[in-house]
Amino acid sequence: MPRWSRFRRLFGPEAKADVDAELAFHIEMRTRELINDGVPPERARALALRRFGDYDNPRQQCVAINERRGRRMARTEYLTELRQDAGYALRMLRRSPGFTTVALTTLALGIGANSAIFSVVQGVLLAPLPYRDAARLYRVTTLYPDGTPYPLSPPDFMSVREQSQTLDQVEAFSGGVYTMLDAGDPREVRGTSVSDRLFDLLGLQLALGRGLRPGDNQPGHDGVAVLDYGFWQRQFGGDPQVLGRRIRIAGTPVEIVGVLTRGTRMFDDADVYTPLLYNDTFSAATAKGRRGEFLTVLGRAKPGVALATVDRDLRRIGKQLQSAFVDTNDTLTFNATPLTEVVVGDVRTPLLLLLGAVGFVLLVACANVANLLLARASARQTELAVRSALGAGRVRLLRQLLTESVVLGTAGAVLGLAIAFAATRALVAAQPAGIPRLENVTVNGTVVIFTFVIAIATSLGFGILPAFQFTGAGMQSALRETTRGSTSMSGQRLRSALVVVEMALAVVLLIGAGLLVRSFIQLTRVDPGFRVEQALSFRVVLQGDRYKEDEPTRIRVSELEQRLRALPGVTHVGTTSVLPFSGRGAMVGFEVEGAPPPPANVNAEIALASTTPDYLRAIGATLRQGRLFTAIDDTRAPRVAIVNEAAGRRWFHGDNPVGRRVITNGVAREVVGVVGDVLQRSAAEPAAPMVFVPFAQRTIRSTKMVVRTNADPSTLTAAIRGEIRAVDPELAVADITPMAQLVNRSLRGPRFYTSLLTVFAGVGLVLATIGVFGVMSYAVTQRGREISIRLALGALPRDVVRMIVSRAFVLAAIGLIVGLAAAAALGRFIQGQLFGVPLIDPVTFSVVPLVLAASAGVASFVPAQRATKFDPANALREG
Amino acid sequence: MAASTPDILRGTLDLLILKALSWGPSHGYAVARWIQQATDDALAVGEGSLYPALHRLEEREWITSTWGPSENNRQAKYYALTRRGRARLKIEADNWRRYATAIFAALEAPALQE
Repeated sequence: MPRWSRFRRLFGPEAKADVDAELAFHIEMRTRELINDGVPPERARALALRRFGDYDNPRQQCVAINERRGRRMARTEYLTELRQDAGYALRMLRRSPGFTTVALTTLALGIGANSAIFSVVQGVLLAPLPYRDAARLYRVTTLYPDGTPYPLSPPDFMSVREQSQTLDQVEAFSGGVYTMLDAGDPREVRGTSVSDRLFDLLGLQLALGRGLRPGDNQPGHDGVAVLDYGFWQRQFGGDPQVLGRRIRIAGTPVEIVGVLTRGTRMFDDADVYTPLLYNDTFSAATAKGRRGEFLTVLGRAKPGVALATVDRDLRRIGKQLQSAFVDTNDTLTFNATPLTEVVVGDVRTPLLLLLGAVGFVLLVACANVANLLLARASARQTELAVRSALGAGRVRLLRQLLTESVVLGTAGAVLGLAIAFAATRALVAAQPAGIPRLENVTVNGTVVIFTFVIAIATSLGFGILPAFQFTGAGMQSALRETTRGSTSMSGQRLRSALVVVEMALAVVLLIGAGLLVRSFIQLTRVDPGFRVEQALSFRVVLQGDRYKEDEPTRIRVSELEQRLRALPGVTHVGTTSVLPFSGRGAMVGFEVEGAPPPPANVNAEIALASTTPDYLRAIGATLRQGRLFTAIDDTRAPRVAIVNEAAGRRWFHGDNPVGRRVITNGVAREVVGVVGDVLQRSAAEPAAPMVFVPFAQRTIRSTKMVVRTNADPSTLTAAIRGEIRAVDPELAVADITPMAQLVNRSLRGPRFYTSLLTVFAGVGLVLATIGVFGVMSYAVTQRGREISIRLALGALPRDVVRMIVSRAFVLAAIGLIVGLAAAAALGRFIQGQLFGVPLIDPVTFSVVPLVLAASAGVASFVPAQRATKFDPANALREG
Repeated sequence: MAASTPDILRGTLDLLILKALSWGPSHGYAVARWIQQATDDALAVGEGSLYPALHRLEEREWITSTWGPSENNRQAKYYALTRRGRARLKIEADNWRRYATAIFAALEAPALQE
């Protein structure tokens, strides 16, 4: 008998009875003795009670002590049993290494994938932005009537700042690329100019010196800069003496007054922060500059103010400005977007999609382990029946079995965490494009808690069915049945059902992955509109006093082009204001002479690129009509323009644009040519209407150059730098990149999501295949006698194989139907990620069944082969 | 009879119970009788206060209890010394002896010298 049962009597209400019996015995003994001593029986009991003294108080004390003890014993007993169960579970797992290896690997993969993706979701989507009161920060945008959001102009910013009733604080910043001059080579830096209290708004912390503050924005006081921590490390080696140092940014001398702390950063990466210079347009009273929109505006809402209220407030301000500044602000208004949405909005859907996918993988893993546990039913039924016969209750057995599951799940969680740790580090190192805040992604406390919670949930998930199956009604008969080594039919059906579920989940994953792969292929097939190979591009910013005027800038650009053209192997050199796959560039007002003005709610703007004559030839754009620019289209020549096909469709309604006159930003030009669409942002986004104008007629300073060669262009990098340094040693050359890479960069995001989902689908399929294999092997073992008899009666091995394999196909077919239906129903979650592929893609929806059939075939063929080796003689002997 | 036993008596009572059980298991009544006889009833504790002491000792695992038939064939709760209880008895007895010796010595000591 177990040690603890001796204390059974102490538990619960029995403690009182126990004490009463003990005390009563004492009184009775004393009474008897008094009678023996000659005391009359009628007085003996009273006397005995008197000698006993106070009765209630000792009794209560005893009861209290006993109850306290009882509780402690119960606790100890529980812990002892738990330890026993855990120890027993560990022994069981050690005793069947095959089962343990498969189950643990399955769980570790399922849990690890979940932890890894959850780490990303946690770090990127869930963790608050590293700014003060981040939840109350909004981005304010100018809203055009057609719904296009734009930055704000300085006067609009000042108006919003002064008139807002819902925003406590409104600040602005503007980013740009500048040339920094210090000791050493000129360098291109990303600069952010900030309004007076932006540092305060975001709560940016400083490692050294001071932040930017009110007063810095006044003309004459703006020659100060604060460095980003990473940039300080890279460029200045983390030198604390950097404070007070003078550098030149965009030709202007500035003094370094501070360095941000590590990890403090704006959501647009910047190297250097400088004050926004408050010129006369920074006034709520002026009309001047109202349509010069270049400020990103952030505001903090007052506590407890909802987004809708902020929006209403901003609309009110917009309306007010519409009547106050009819010429500039007619039809315009403002709206707010939560800052979190601005930063992570683009990646939310794909990341949640991945989280859903790994959730499916975990479900498959869960079903698989449940199946493995059920398969052990026959092996363990004898053991459990014996334990039950020896007095272990059903609850006790259930608990023991669930403890085994939890031990398995916990071990899986530990391995899973290791996988997640490695995976997240690899992920952060790989820097998949377009995921912000990736440096935030670590396996932290939240992830560990998440991992153990899903591990325990998973353990109960896969453990509960087999546990009830084991300890259920079938158990009494188990002792009798074990000699025949069979489980009930319901067990077999349960296992088949689990396999069907696994198959269905795998199908959903495969369909998702298939659709993404197909989309990706479509993306890579998109014609970018230019010749991608054998061309290099880079940026050169012409800044400083030398390039204040247009004329010297033009001369310098053509000088650069000439020298580069002279390099060996170079066929074309061109200069532009915006490269393909790098954005749309400047947006300018546009109209076609003689065409009716567009309705008021249409944004009459067009993307514009200033290009030198050779640029379109250098990128290899296709001329559709008219001519390209030549040297004659110079400053003195008539103003000309080339439009892309999208502009032709949008603005000329199929008429030939060549010869028509258009007005870009107030300048009338004659259209001399039409080129094929060159993609501007990514393969997934069709080209927007665009107009090209001669660089000579619209000279800009932030130039991008393209060098086309007839050989491998990457060998030219050093030569290009040399030529540019020879022309002007203060010019910074940045980002010398093969143009193919521009296209490739835009594919990094889709490639990342597609490959991850494909990996998850693959894992799901492998697990489901293992599940089918398990069930078929088990079925073969179970039906060994039947199969032997069939063989003895003359069935051909082929028939046996067909019988087994067809059963697997039936399971797969059911799984397939369920899975396809589920995939179609879940389609809307993936729709936004697809490109050029319908949701019910015929290719994907016909390949996936084939894959599934193949896996079912593979999974059942091996067990079926084994079945054909059964010796018919055995069956006859046994029968 | 006071409801609660003074501390010095409680310590003494624990020691006496352990001593009473040192010859073998017995029930509470027998323990009470032994204490009365051995001390000439000098402690004059109510018999009732013996039981909380017994239960406390059991809680500390110095003694254990089982129900068993008594000499007159009634079910009685028998207490027995555990290994730890026996060790405790030795420590308590030694302490008590030292304490008593010290007090005796003090009582026999010469008068206070200026």
